[in-house]
Amino acid sequence: MIKITGLEKIYRLGVVEVPALRGLSFEIHRGDFLGLMGPSGSGKSTLLHLLGLLDFPTAGTIEIDGVDVAGLDDDERTDYRLRKMGYIFQDYALVAELTVLENVMLTALAQGKTESQAGEASRDVLSIVGLSNRLNHLPKELSGGEQQRVAIARSMVNRPIILFADEPCANLDTANSQAVLDQFHTINEELSQTIVMVSHEEWHKEYFHRIVYLKDGQIEREEDRHHHGD
Amino acid sequence: MTETLVRLRLSFFLGLRSLQRGNIGSLVMTVVIIGMVFTNMIFLPSVITGAIKLFEQQTIEFQSGNIIIEPKENAEFIDDLEDLLARVNRVPGVLRAAPHNDIGGVMKFKGSRLPGSIIAIRPHDEVLVTGISRMMKEGQYLGEGDTGVIVIGRLVAGHEDKSEDLMPSLGGVTTGDSIDVEYTNGVTRTYRVKGIFETKSYMVDPLVFITWEELESVRGQPIDQATSVLIRTVPGEDENEVKLSLIGMGIQEEIKTWHDLLGKAFAEVVQSYAVINNISTAVSIVIAIVVIFIVIMIKTLNNRRQIGILKAIGIHRTTITFSYVFQVIILAIMGIIFGLMILFALDRYFTVYPIVFPDGDIRPAFTIADIVSNAVLLFIASAVAGFIPAWQIAREDILTAMRG
Ligand SMILES: Nc1ncnc2c1ncn2[C@@H]1O[C@H](COP(=O)(O)OP(=O)(O)OP(=O)(O)O)[C@@H](O)[C@H]1O
Ligand SMILES: [Mg+2]
Repeated sequence: MIKITGLEKIYRLGVVEVPALRGLSFEIHRGDFLGLMGPSGSGKSTLLHLLGLLDFPTAGTIEIDGVDVAGLDDDERTDYRLRKMGYIFQDYALVAELTVLENVMLTALAQGKTESQAGEASRDVLSIVGLSNRLNHLPKELSGGEQQRVAIARSMVNRPIILFADEPCANLDTANSQAVLDQFHTINEELSQTIVMVSHEEWHKEYFHRIVYLKDGQIEREEDRHHHGD
Repeated sequence: MTETLVRLRLSFFLGLRSLQRGNIGSLVMTVVIIGMVFTNMIFLPSVITGAIKLFEQQTIEFQSGNIIIEPKENAEFIDDLEDLLARVNRVPGVLRAAPHNDIGGVMKFKGSRLPGSIIAIRPHDEVLVTGISRMMKEGQYLGEGDTGVIVIGRLVAGHEDKSEDLMPSLGGVTTGDSIDVEYTNGVTRTYRVKGIFETKSYMVDPLVFITWEELESVRGQPIDQATSVLIRTVPGEDENEVKLSLIGMGIQEEIKTWHDLLGKAFAEVVQSYAVINNISTAVSIVIAIVVIFIVIMIKTLNNRRQIGILKAIGIHRTTITFSYVFQVIILAIMGIIFGLMILFALDRYFTVYPIVFPDGDIRPAFTIADIVSNAVLLFIASAVAGFIPAWQIAREDILTAMRG
């Protein structure tokens, strides 16, 4: 469903060139729960930014359902992100001025849903992540784990074809991390949600169907764990 | 819903929440500043308009009436006065005509000599045309058929200590005093001062009045001539229409509305004031723009990360830009309402305590047209001032913005 071919990213800092990705090619399949792992600086975030259309590759193509998204212009990318992608950041990235419910409703409203449709859809996903009782709280009134669950709900509300998560558990303790991963597991299993998640925690591997290991901007190896899955 | 509507709705939603949950202090400050700017835009011009209005009113009320008839070119007098008055009073739109007849003379009081013109009037016409009879500072106005009495302006009466006077005076005349008048035809009369008026107009307060009968007695003959005829029109009548009717009646004399009388020079003064008003408005607008620009600039810079997040989750940059424009619009509306409240309070205050100028009490004159046009101007300026910084930040690269 997503075909990555010869993907390169070079950051230019003045005259210095930092090659973050050096020609990656792999595929992501529908319904995958893909782990991206590798040492710090290996290019995991960079790759996720490119896949999530938050940044432009230096070379290579990203084909999603046969469309080369690298060629989309800024507005088309924004629209693509809104309608087809969910993105979960390490630091939750909630809108501070909006309540839990409003944060989730935001993308639904942006898609043109009515207030009541958006509200209903948002309550549904918030109940999936177990936050039905915190709808009118502001992000600052929630724990890190709760905030990350709001972010998951937000990324889910538009039923994206793919969900990206960049170290979503990095700021969470083990219990909260487990809750988040269980959440991902559930939506992956039950809704066949495709998920690409960056992590460097060994124990997260248990959750992934497949792992792509990066090193120095290149794929070191791929590991298929599907048969280990439950 | 169209894409545009969806975006605008979301902009409004985001803008509203940002105001509700944002910094109350900066919100209040911005509203107060916009309110003050708006007050300033309206208030200074309104004082100037008030001063112009006052001058116009004084001219109509005390000096010329709505329309004044003057002798034909090269003539010293309007002749066949009775006939002319009869015709004028029949013209539709004319409330009343009152003749004036100026005669030169020298007034004397306790060693002070004051040359000037003494104006003969017909009190029962005059009170219908000018308001001087209602501006008596002391004593009474002339009655029909009074002889041996004179009514003088406050500047003629003056003060005993002449250094207090703005122009030459008789040095402290009060009601009941006797003054001598030596007319240019050689006749001298002694008059009891029946009253002293104060209109605060520098054109009117140096005048003195006697009755028509008194003038006829001085001249020793009936007078069927006037140096001017003042006309009061029916309230609401267009003076120019009445002027045309008068011309249509075959009146050959010079007919001027008060506009004509004030003439080009006054129009130029008004024009200069308009320039001052425009400069003041421009300065106010610039202040408003700068304040709003800075407020939104700071807000967007503080919200860079948040703007990055919004873009990352697929919110269009125009939605984000307009969320700030909506905030500014709401701030501008609140500021304008606040300004209107200040103006209302000022209006109340100055109605009770007018600004005392030497030539009259000035009440700021607010016009709805001024208020509306300035509000619209301020509104547009605010929207533009909010749009620019928001637009700049919303264009920023997502990842750069998200790094904060
Ligand atoms: N904006 C940038 N400008 C310049 N260089 C960058 C930028 N972002 C990342 N890099 C560089 O690109 C390389 C890959 O960075 P990236 O953030 O993708 O690594 P990562 O695998 O996510 O690391 P971590 O596990 O620490 O998050 C690193 O060498 C990094 O220094
Ligand atoms: Mg990273």
